[in-house]
Amino acid sequence: MKLPAHIALPGRRRPTPGSDRTPVYAMVGNPNCGKTTLFNALTGLRQKVGNYPGVTVEKKIGVTYSQHGRPIQIIDLPGAYSLAARSPDEAVLRDVLLGRRADTPQPDRIICVVDAANLERNLYLVHQILDLGRPVIIALNMMDMAAAAGMKVDAAELEGELGVPVIACEAVHGRGLVELKLALSRLELPLARHRWDVPVPIAPAVAEIQASLADNDARTPLIARAEALLLLTDFDTVRVAGSKPLSARTHELLSQWRQRWVQEGTDWSAVLIRSRYDAINLLCKDVIRRPRETGPSRSDRIDAVLCHSVWGWAFFAVIMGALFYSIFSLAESPMNFIDEHVAAFGAWVKGAMAPGDLRDLLTDGVISGVGGIVIFLPQILILFFFVGLLESTGYMARAAFIMDRPMSRVGLNGRSFIPLLGAYACAIPAIMATRTIENARDRLVTILVAPLMSCSARLPVYLLMIATLLPGDVVPATTKAGIMLTMYALGTGGVFFFAWLFQRTLFPAAPQHMIMELPPYQPPRFKEILRHMVERGWMFLKNAGTIILGISIVLWFLTTYPKHPDPHATPTAQIAQSFAGQAGHLIEPVIKPLGFDWRIGIGLITSFAAREVFVSSMGVIFGVEGANDDTTPLRDALRGAHWPDGAALFTPLVCIVLMVFYVFAMQCMSTVAVVKRETNSWRWPLFQLAYMTGTAWLVCLVLYQAGRALGY
Amino acid sequence: MPASPIPLSPLCQLPAGSTGRVCELTGDDSFCQRVREMGFGEAALVTKISGSSTSLCLVNGTRIALNHRAAMSILVEQLPASAH
Repeated sequence: MKLPAHIALPGRRRPTPGSDRTPVYAMVGNPNCGKTTLFNALTGLRQKVGNYPGVTVEKKIGVTYSQHGRPIQIIDLPGAYSLAARSPDEAVLRDVLLGRRADTPQPDRIICVVDAANLERNLYLVHQILDLGRPVIIALNMMDMAAAAGMKVDAAELEGELGVPVIACEAVHGRGLVELKLALSRLELPLARHRWDVPVPIAPAVAEIQASLADNDARTPLIARAEALLLLTDFDTVRVAGSKPLSARTHELLSQWRQRWVQEGTDWSAVLIRSRYDAINLLCKDVIRRPRETGPSRSDRIDAVLCHSVWGWAFFAVIMGALFYSIFSLAESPMNFIDEHVAAFGAWVKGAMAPGDLRDLLTDGVISGVGGIVIFLPQILILFFFVGLLESTGYMARAAFIMDRPMSRVGLNGRSFIPLLGAYACAIPAIMATRTIENARDRLVTILVAPLMSCSARLPVYLLMIATLLPGDVVPATTKAGIMLTMYALGTGGVFFFAWLFQRTLFPAAPQHMIMELPPYQPPRFKEILRHMVERGWMFLKNAGTIILGISIVLWFLTTYPKHPDPHATPTAQIAQSFAGQAGHLIEPVIKPLGFDWRIGIGLITSFAAREVFVSSMGVIFGVEGANDDTTPLRDALRGAHWPDGAALFTPLVCIVLMVFYVFAMQCMSTVAVVKRETNSWRWPLFQLAYMTGTAWLVCLVLYQAGRALGY
Repeated sequence: MPASPIPLSPLCQLPAGSTGRVCELTGDDSFCQRVREMGFGEAALVTKISGSSTSLCLVNGTRIALNHRAAMSILVEQLPASAH
């Protein structure tokens, strides 16, 4: 009978260093094995989870409490198949575990989360981690998925074989969490019985580099051995900011051994991997019992349709069509409700207060500006609901699979499509998600084109222009959805065009390999989706209550002062000579060829803070103009706006051109900042700003002038 | 009599629904290492689910998508249906 790990021999136990210090656990595992779900369940945090690989791209730190109430720090690390990092997110895992990150303490203990339904492959990473010689707890997650596949995974047997605590759990359902917390609470943990020896012919190289790492790079003996094994087989040394460089002596030794193996023509990397898998297969012999006969699984049957060369595309088109139709049809009633209440509130404030600057500030600045944005909340929530559905069910990875072929035509591959699809919601997390892309060139191209995907901040601008373009409620939702879909298609088309252009001109190279795991389909986790919707909705409202409120107040001031010398001057004359009016007039010569006047120009300037600010700016500017009237819906105010010669300002052509401008222009300073951070240089964000805004101006010029020539 | 060489074909040419054994990896070192680490190395059994340009395969119970270049780099020996 095998003894459970908790009564292992005293000599193999490893106490937590510094018993009065908060122990630090690293949570590691393959992509999409449920690490973040487990992390959230343990720490009570709400980090984003999804049913596709690569949701977590940076370390996240949380705290849980032991059974005695002691705090335990947990670092959730991005998923990786191996410690031999291939992409920046995998490098984070490797560098934290090896203590190479100057900004992160080296973890005392490691929680290896493994997918029970795919145990052998998950144990490959565990096998490498056991080399580190640190106390390990294995969380055997997704036991329900293994059972559904007809597999029996014996946690006790695995614990007996490895000699470390193995806790069977289902993080999604909260099962096994108590047992896991008990294991985390233990003051002492046994070290693994690690049945694996370095293949004999490679052993001298490992010993030599291990000694150099210990002597010249201040590594402990076990870390030095693990790192030596890694360095000998890690061909691509992806580094992240903060990693400590290796010493010159270690570099020299590495180069010597690699050259020697190249000359001998021996692939020691393959030998090492095979050796590890042989050990894992031996280990799993009595741990896993598989069903004798397996037919196609539920996911296989669904994939036969959704990944089909014809039906797959048809389903993809239906999903996207349903998304845009829902944005209009389902959001109409709540939008009308908000619209009516904002207008009524504005009218009440106007009636309740004495005329003056304070009343105008509240009605024309605050209520017009913020109210104009809040109205779009229902549509933002619908967009995030759909994105959540795609992420939660596992369809996101299938969309990447379907899109691989068109992406390959422009030199990218399907892996780039997951960040791009995420950019429909917001470009900032999408740009961070490019860290999962292994090839640096593909990653940079994806970063450069991602902001062309129409994000949720463009939605208010599109909706306002469509409402101005198609007056009244008699126009069917399908027509409005069609225009919206065209704008999204234009942005997506821009992504393909510029990716193709950059691959041909800036970064010419052969197409890269793409290999990606597709997760099993899962029923949508509505609780997670709703929580994500609420978080994003709250963020949107918080933006409206802070940035947009601030900009609205400043803009109201800039449109109100200096006062016109004539107290009876028209509102238009007043705004024309205000600070904002002067700035608008300054850029009018540049934007007039696009059909935009100085008032739209003010909106273009202010919306560099965030695209949706354009709507609040229009609310303030046209609210000021109509200061003597009751608060009217913004779309009606825009429809009534005119050029000095009496011609309508927001003609259908100008509405379309303005939408197209927002499709292409880089009107988001947060994106500029995140691109600077991710590329570690100002060169690329400035290039991006120039090419996107330049394209927007040029396309709008051609469109407007051609439209005018055709009589529109 | 010497044994006749096993006919190998790229993974992308393996018909949908059939199973093959991985015999050779021909991509660059980095790609080969990642494929092997994912349990897709020499001797692994792979079942093609669908696709010709982008391939969808089943390896050790996991669905793996490979683009055309990756699938061209994995040479397999097709197994007869009775040997699955």
